[in-house]
Amino acid sequence: MNAPMTRHGSALDHALPRGWLLDRIALYLGRSADTIDPAVPLAEYGMDSVCALSLCGDLEEEFGLFVEPTLLWDYPTVDSLVGYLAAELAGADEEG
Amino acid sequence: MVTNAPAAARPQAAARSEAQVRARVADLEALLGDPTDPANPAGYPALLRADDDAVRFAHGEELLDDFGMHTEYVPARLGGRLDSIETLVRVMRPVFRRDVGLGMGYGAMSFMAASDVWNEGGEDQQRWLAARLLRGARAAIAQHETAHSNDYVRSRVTARETPSGGLVLSGRKPMINNLDRAEALVLFCRTDPAPGSRSHSALLLDPAELPAGRATLLDRHMALGLRGNVWGGIAFDDCPVPASALLGPVGSGVATALRSFQISRTVISSMVLAAVDTSLRTAVRFDHEHRSGGWTSGASDSQRTTAAITGAFVNLLLYDCLATVATRAIHLLPEQTSVYSSAVKYLLPRILTETMYDLSIVLGGGFYARTGTLGIFQKHVRDVPVVSLGHAGTVACQATVIPQLPRLAARSWFREEEAPAALFRPGQALPEFDAGRLSLACGRDGLSATLPAAAADIPGRGPVERALAQLAGLLVDEFRDLRDRVLALELRDRTTPVGAACFPLMDRYALLLAASAVLGVWRHNQGGPDPFLADPAWAAAALHRIARRLGATVPDLPRECETRVRHEVQLRFSDQRGYDLYNTPVPG
Repeated sequence: MNAPMTRHGSALDHALPRGWLLDRIALYLGRSADTIDPAVPLAEYGMDSVCALSLCGDLEEEFGLFVEPTLLWDYPTVDSLVGYLAAELAGADEEG
Repeated sequence: MVTNAPAAARPQAAARSEAQVRARVADLEALLGDPTDPANPAGYPALLRADDDAVRFAHGEELLDDFGMHTEYVPARLGGRLDSIETLVRVMRPVFRRDVGLGMGYGAMSFMAASDVWNEGGEDQQRWLAARLLRGARAAIAQHETAHSNDYVRSRVTARETPSGGLVLSGRKPMINNLDRAEALVLFCRTDPAPGSRSHSALLLDPAELPAGRATLLDRHMALGLRGNVWGGIAFDDCPVPASALLGPVGSGVATALRSFQISRTVISSMVLAAVDTSLRTAVRFDHEHRSGGWTSGASDSQRTTAAITGAFVNLLLYDCLATVATRAIHLLPEQTSVYSSAVKYLLPRILTETMYDLSIVLGGGFYARTGTLGIFQKHVRDVPVVSLGHAGTVACQATVIPQLPRLAARSWFREEEAPAALFRPGQALPEFDAGRLSLACGRDGLSATLPAAAADIPGRGPVERALAQLAGLLVDEFRDLRDRVLALELRDRTTPVGAACFPLMDRYALLLAASAVLGVWRHNQGGPDPFLADPAWAAAALHRIARRLGATVPDLPRECETRVRHEVQLRFSDQRGYDLYNTPVPG
């Protein structure tokens, strides 16, 4: 699923950045999204510091989320990333 | 009036401490003596013999012990003399000016190991290491594994936790400087077989405490340069170590390494400049001796050697601008230093190594001399490139900067507030270093903001300053072009493996950071203690060289620009002063 995302969009969109995230990661890894197991650490697919940092920048640009450059070290799989980001986005919405 | 007292007292204290640093450097220079004097037991002939025999330069080490150099690596709060990273660099430059191997083997490697402990260690670990270093012991460092790369970083050690709460080490590290005599070892190892950056940890070990038969020293490894350094390996065979050896939490090893690289890359790059300072002085001396004897064959040769000498000085100055700014940034802009430390280390082989080869035309066949006063030139040519290997090789530095480029271009370049003037004032008092502020990436760059700001504010008094303004404007255009190119990168260019387009962009960025540092140093030293730094001639010559490296079409410099810089080279040679921003007295 690839829900259309708008910048600083509604809480509904924010709740599920999974589609956007998978597509972006797939692009960085040069493989199709359906070959990425969301429970497997991305490093096993060749995710390195270059993509990891690029992804942090993307999250800032797309969602206005400021994350630590070590984000992917602590949330190494798509599942753990989605869980963390959903919570962060929900928190950002409440504050906003 | 009482409220003014602290503010008024501060500059006085700063002036006193700057005088103390100068005095310390002068003491060390006097202790090490004139290196060109054949009767000096710490001079070039003696240190070249040690290098030839591939042994440590024992007399040099004794003198450094007398000076208390080992206390320079220990923070003042732990009883040592380390109060600022810039002071450390300045005190070490006299050593690197004579012998890069002595500088690395005596102390720089110990400092690299120790800075991990100062940044991440517990109070007990810090006190333990401080006590050892203060009595003259060495610390060694075994960096984390990489899958490829050179002998300095290859191969691995793994640590697994035991039910009793300790760790068991297996594997080997082949290249550890000073391991044979180290009384402390910082060892990076893999604590989790999973890929990823939380799989490594750092340990602080006492090599003497490793159980016999479980840790074996491997044969010494010789390199082409730094021949006097003793690199040994170690093999672990189910070697038990206590959990208290952990430096920081399990899994924090990569972050620890990346933070301390920001210090070590900067410090090493900045210290090693002193070797090329000697290369220039050696070339100038050779030129003097041979020309006064009527040796040169004609005017064209003379023009070429003069141009090589002047160009080398300009290279040293522009490199030192970035090195000094990066060093001061560790105190002033610690969040931003990941980019600056990598940029200066990246430029090391490009500018310093190249400068030594540029100077070879002055020496002619003398370039190959391996003994006598001239032999130091060849030794530096062998040693300096070895310093740019290891974990701070060119690719490692590029890999640090490239992922940050898109964010910097989008968020920071041409938007950031200009860096503070203090960043550009060599020797000015610095706030205390705070390791907690070092960041792996922060998306901000105040140094490059100085480029457009300074370029817009050059008065244009006289032809040299007008040339400076023109060149600065040209470099602002180059910087804008760089931003546009980075912003135009397709997403896939930024991904794994990094698109080839990113590498030249990083090269241009490093040069533009150097240009920003040059302009900042010139601008913020107007009316400063050194009138040479306030003169636009060297700055214009430096920007001219940078613009040419970037491939820009540059106007010729006014004649007096070259004349002024050439005179300064000769003046500093006769006056016995160093070819760097600090303009320090040197004995021969």
